[in-house]
Amino acid sequence: MNIYSLLRILAKTTKAQNLFIASKEINGIRLFKNTRDLSSIQDFYLTWLYSYDVIMKEVLIDNISKEILNDELYEDSYLLWRKDKKFKEKKLDKEQKNLKLIPGKTIKFPKKVK
Amino acid sequence: MDERLNQAEEIVKSMEKETELSKVEELIKDNRITFEYEDKKYRVRLLNLAEKEELDMLRRKKFGQLIKDKDIFLEKDLILQYKEKGIDIEKEIDEKIKKINAEEYDLQIRLGESISKNENENIFKNYKNQITQLRLQKQVLNAQRILLLSYSLECALESYTYQVITYLSSEILTEEGWKKMFISLDEFQKYPDEKLIMKLGSYSILLQRI
Repeated sequence: MNIYSLLRILAKTTKAQNLFIASKEINGIRLFKNTRDLSSIQDFYLTWLYSYDVIMKEVLIDNISKEILNDELYEDSYLLWRKDKKFKEKKLDKEQKNLKLIPGKTIKFPKKVK
Repeated sequence: MDERLNQAEEIVKSMEKETELSKVEELIKDNRITFEYEDKKYRVRLLNLAEKEELDMLRRKKFGQLIKDKDIFLEKDLILQYKEKGIDIEKEIDEKIKKINAEEYDLQIRLGESISKNENENIFKNYKNQITQLRLQKQVLNAQRILLLSYSLECALESYTYQVITYLSSEILTEEGWKKMFISLDEFQKYPDEKLIMKLGSYSILLQRI
């Protein structure tokens, strides 16, 4: 098994997830010895801690089955679909909120009364 | 008896996994990796600002040398040369990879959607098989591309960059504390223990962002 798959397995363990949640809520609990200058693999691990936090929450509220956690491809695909869906929703929302200005119309603001 | 054997195998597997996980855990504890090799302690660490500047300077110098070398071609020129000889990398490899990527993305979105709807696992497996097939095809194409372009300037520069990173980030524990392992790039390149160099190289690449 390659190192990146092992890092993902580590990130989804209860121990890692608990530590991750605690580090967000309690000041002083740290994930790494270094507080800045994350290494490339630390960055990768952190990304997956976030991703598994998202997946676990969805599993917990029964939105999706926990079987997803048996396969990296299932996890990747679900996260990709979720991101794609959010992007499409955001795009649609932005389009609907856009103010449509009518060309040629001038807006007359009331004059200040002296 | 078979069941007991299976159980024993499972326990061994799970122990191996635990060991592997604790090894990986060690690698991410800090932004430096320490290891032992033939009774001596070594470590690799993230480059500091001065070392990053040295890396940039050396990389620029090397690029200047390579670009003047008439025997080394830029990737785009090498692609043109291959085309003249009847091997169209852009058409036969790049376009196919692009097409596979689009198909793979589409299948992954469909798989993700079917997971979100909690559909039957057989549907997931079906998508998985299709995606795995596409990935295998892509791997073959990528391997062909790497092989054909392995003598490009870009490849030479990348390999040189990895060497410089390893040279700059490697340290050894002495009685006075941690010391740089190599005084110069030349010393690094002439270092006789290839196995140790490989180890230092693979660890330092895990740390750096290039």
